[in-house]
Amino acid sequence: MGTQIPNIEDTRELLKKNQIGIIGVGETEQGKIPGKSSFHFLSEASKIAIEDAGLNKSDVDGIITAFSLVEETFMHCTTFADYIGINPKYFESVAIGGATAVWMTAAAAMAINSGQAEVVLCVRGDNTLSGISSTGMIALIREMCHGEFEYPFGLTTPGGYALMAQRYLHESKGTREHLASVAVTMRQHAQLKENAMNKDDLTMDDVMGARLLASPLTKFDCSIISDGGAAFIVTTAAKAKELGLKRDPIYLHGMGQGFSHQYLTSCEDLDQIYGAIQKSGDKAFKTAGMTNQDVDITFLYDCFTITTLLELEGLGIVPKGHAGAAALEGRLHKDADIPLNTNGGLLSQAHLGAMHHVVEAVLQLRGEAGERQVKDPNVALVHGNGGIVSAHSTILLGNEPLS
Amino acid sequence: MSEEKVEYAKPLPDFRPETKPFWDGTKEHKLLLPKCKETGKVFFYPRAISPFPNSTNMDFDWVESSGKGKVWTYSVHYMGPTKAYKGETYVVAMIELDDGVKMMSNVVDCDPESVTIGMEVEVVFEDATDEVTFAKFKPVQ
Repeated sequence: MGTQIPNIEDTRELLKKNQIGIIGVGETEQGKIPGKSSFHFLSEASKIAIEDAGLNKSDVDGIITAFSLVEETFMHCTTFADYIGINPKYFESVAIGGATAVWMTAAAAMAINSGQAEVVLCVRGDNTLSGISSTGMIALIREMCHGEFEYPFGLTTPGGYALMAQRYLHESKGTREHLASVAVTMRQHAQLKENAMNKDDLTMDDVMGARLLASPLTKFDCSIISDGGAAFIVTTAAKAKELGLKRDPIYLHGMGQGFSHQYLTSCEDLDQIYGAIQKSGDKAFKTAGMTNQDVDITFLYDCFTITTLLELEGLGIVPKGHAGAAALEGRLHKDADIPLNTNGGLLSQAHLGAMHHVVEAVLQLRGEAGERQVKDPNVALVHGNGGIVSAHSTILLGNEPLS
Repeated sequence: MSEEKVEYAKPLPDFRPETKPFWDGTKEHKLLLPKCKETGKVFFYPRAISPFPNSTNMDFDWVESSGKGKVWTYSVHYMGPTKAYKGETYVVAMIELDDGVKMMSNVVDCDPESVTIGMEVEVVFEDATDEVTFAKFKPVQ
């Protein structure tokens, strides 16, 4: 017998056999919260998720963290393991920018599938708003672009996305209203989310009348900066049962990554970006045995308004060039046909990568999203984007085990 | 008293040694592009290894660009990354050079709000310090 090269079908079989999913979620308060360190938020979010799952801290045998923009550490995951008092069998720091949170779920599943751990805590927290210095912020902007061939021309982070937005509007014959409507819908959702940072009314006129930061983007097209933490815990249905947990997991049905470029200089055209987004989605759909028609609720990385439009088109949810019009028609509202980021997203709830997107997807699939609840969703898609539409990760979650 | 020189306060490039020929070129007001000796193709940004599929070549020729191209996309920046940009409105753009590569730069010598996608531009050199000269672009008249 010859051996076979492992493929997506093997992942599908492992996810089916092991029934891996998210058993506990936690979010701290979000906003401007001075007086709490990055490690305080990590601890608080972990505590809430552990209690939500009904676990003991000692049941956790795997830790996946990300990074801090304020308190840089060389080994983030083990620094936190030491801090919280868990001796993990598996530990990993995922550091792929905004693609991190979504990929933590996948990394946890891979660790579990290979027998490295059974109960994996995925957590991120940071005091970005209160703790980052102006030199730290400048270093971050510099980090987002090429230090030699881009940054010296005065490129900012909103500017990088603005370059893509300008090109997108040119190719799709779109308008600034298309971008603005994404910000307005996210604000409407944030008004229903208890811990959202920005809840003031926001109208189209407010966005259209705001000063441009980097054309065609205003401050309302940019995500907020916030303090806070969020966590989720990944395990198997069998382990949840063995531990006598009160509810079933929300199951992981598929995952995938796609890469376009690190620096905009290496981006040939918008199709390169669409292709990377599509690749991350295709792998997730193939693993799940689904198509985008099966998705009931969508969570897309909304670091800037433009990002969501590129993602909607890259994932094939809306045809190319039509996402702006879809947004303006109100189709991204929680009660419309493409309910998007019911938590208010990075634009209005809080910015902790896609951590809150994963948490909200779980709450929606449990039917515990309160006023924001979408009617009976069975499948959620969560997407994360790192860099300047550079690195993409997608997962599919469902309230039934993969069959 | 000797003549006082205004110090350049904006960010300067983080040099990597392998890009020296590029910056030596701009200092002489030449826009040089690395050309892979294996594939015969030019690329940007300069680096130590060929970025083309199937090539691990690390040996390059440096060829002079025509310095002409078009604006592929742009953004008028009303706020810069550091204090040195305070009060300035400037254009960051991706320029598609006729040589077939894209590079990021500024479009200068024009009203920032007059820049459009597809605008024809040509290189101009801006001596920032004794060591650093930037290749920038201006609209073709």
